[in-house]
Amino acid sequence: MTEEPYRWLEAIGNRREYVREQLKGGSPVFVASLPEGILLLGVGVGHSKVFELFDRHALAGLGHPADIEKIRQAAIDAAHLEGFNRAPEDVSLRRLVGFGLSPQLKTNFEQIFSAPFLLELLLAEVGLEPNQDLIARLHFDGAFQLHTKGVVVAASQPDPETAAQAWLNQTLAEKPDRDEVVEVLLQAWWCLTENKPFTEGLPPEGERRDGWRKAVQGRTVELGWLARKSHRRARYEELHPA
Amino acid sequence: MSDPSPIAGDFLSLLARHQVSSLRAVVSPDAPVQTQATTVFAFHFAEGVLMGGDRRATAGNVIVTDRVDKVLELDATSLLAIAGVPATAFEMARVLETSFEYFRRSQLQSLSLPAKVRALARLLRENLPMTIQGVGVVVPLFAGIDQTVSPPEPQIYFYDPLGAQFQAVGYAASGSGAGTIRSILSFQDRYGQPRPTRMNLQQAVQFALRLLMVASEFDSATGGVNPEAATFATIKVLRGSGVESVSAGQQAEWLKS
Repeated sequence: MTEEPYRWLEAIGNRREYVREQLKGGSPVFVASLPEGILLLGVGVGHSKVFELFDRHALAGLGHPADIEKIRQAAIDAAHLEGFNRAPEDVSLRRLVGFGLSPQLKTNFEQIFSAPFLLELLLAEVGLEPNQDLIARLHFDGAFQLHTKGVVVAASQPDPETAAQAWLNQTLAEKPDRDEVVEVLLQAWWCLTENKPFTEGLPPEGERRDGWRKAVQGRTVELGWLARKSHRRARYEELHPA
Repeated sequence: MSDPSPIAGDFLSLLARHQVSSLRAVVSPDAPVQTQATTVFAFHFAEGVLMGGDRRATAGNVIVTDRVDKVLELDATSLLAIAGVPATAFEMARVLETSFEYFRRSQLQSLSLPAKVRALARLLRENLPMTIQGVGVVVPLFAGIDQTVSPPEPQIYFYDPLGAQFQAVGYAASGSGAGTIRSILSFQDRYGQPRPTRMNLQQAVQFALRLLMVASEFDSATGGVNPEAATFATIKVLRGSGVESVSAGQQAEWLKS
């Protein structure tokens, strides 16, 4: 089958559709660069969405837990080897994603006889100053975009993800308070999971507030925090929602 | 033949898989004089464990520097005090630091205290060729938190150069000035007022600084404390809640009072 190029293209197209179909209903995750650090947010069952990777690095993802686990482990292995062989300061998100995770995901995606990774990821690196923050949006096929500020969203479908990200960056532009940011991110999470629009027809704030509070019952709001200033090398801490 | 499966969460096994050695145990017969000599100690006080050390490194009769930190924070709940050859000791600290954090991040739980204590013993055993040749001897102290009791309790461990580990009841000391320190600690523990276990943080820090000042009177390889030269000790405190460093400024203030 694969000797014929057009069939290979068709197989890749089918594979992309298959992954998107499998990811439907996945719970979106968010990363926000704030003045005091980087916030990661996910809503899941147990500890399954937001993870520490290295001293200044963390990951948030949606998808199949086994696939997230494989990538998480690969990222942790690579970061610790790099940090040990050189120095912890040499572990950079740009290299971790660009030379490590992205090629692995791309290779896996194009090997059409093996199971594809079912995941969408956000990776974050906190800098000394807010303008040194780096957030990577890494897709199941290895494609990635790097962001240096604002809020970045990973959702199962591209269009709602783009709309949510635009709305969040507009809404949170003047809101540095972490608790306030958590509240707005959870509202966006609820809108995404309920397929609400982010432009015309966006539910009023009261409805959004009530909506996420009801929707998270029986689930866990996972919050990770990469502190910009700390006396410890490991900057990550788990936060507990108020 | 395929590589052996790595042990989950074991950083040394990850290094082996990538053919990276943690400690280099080969030494030339023409090895130069090693920097060494130290006084480090740890004792229980009312709030937890205090671990301290002087800051001098020597090579033979030469003082190399008076700015070495020999008490190291391995993670949020573990301290290591190094005595012996710094080249090996610092490398051991780096291996342990990475190993503990690697396990915690990859396995989503902290390594237990017994496992941390054995991890250091394992490195000491792997350093046996250097120890036998007399150019890489390391005799460290370790303090960690026992999470199996409520409330969690800090504990002190000491080692012999071959890797045997022992839990210290009240205190432990290592390095060339250890004899003096142990004598004073033993006296204070038996006859002192207050006894170390009854001291608050300020009293414990004052006591630690005086221990080093006395040790440096009898051991030229111990740097001691010299307020005029702004040379103080490295002092860290381990409580059930974690690690805290006592700054040079704080030491200076408490030494005066």
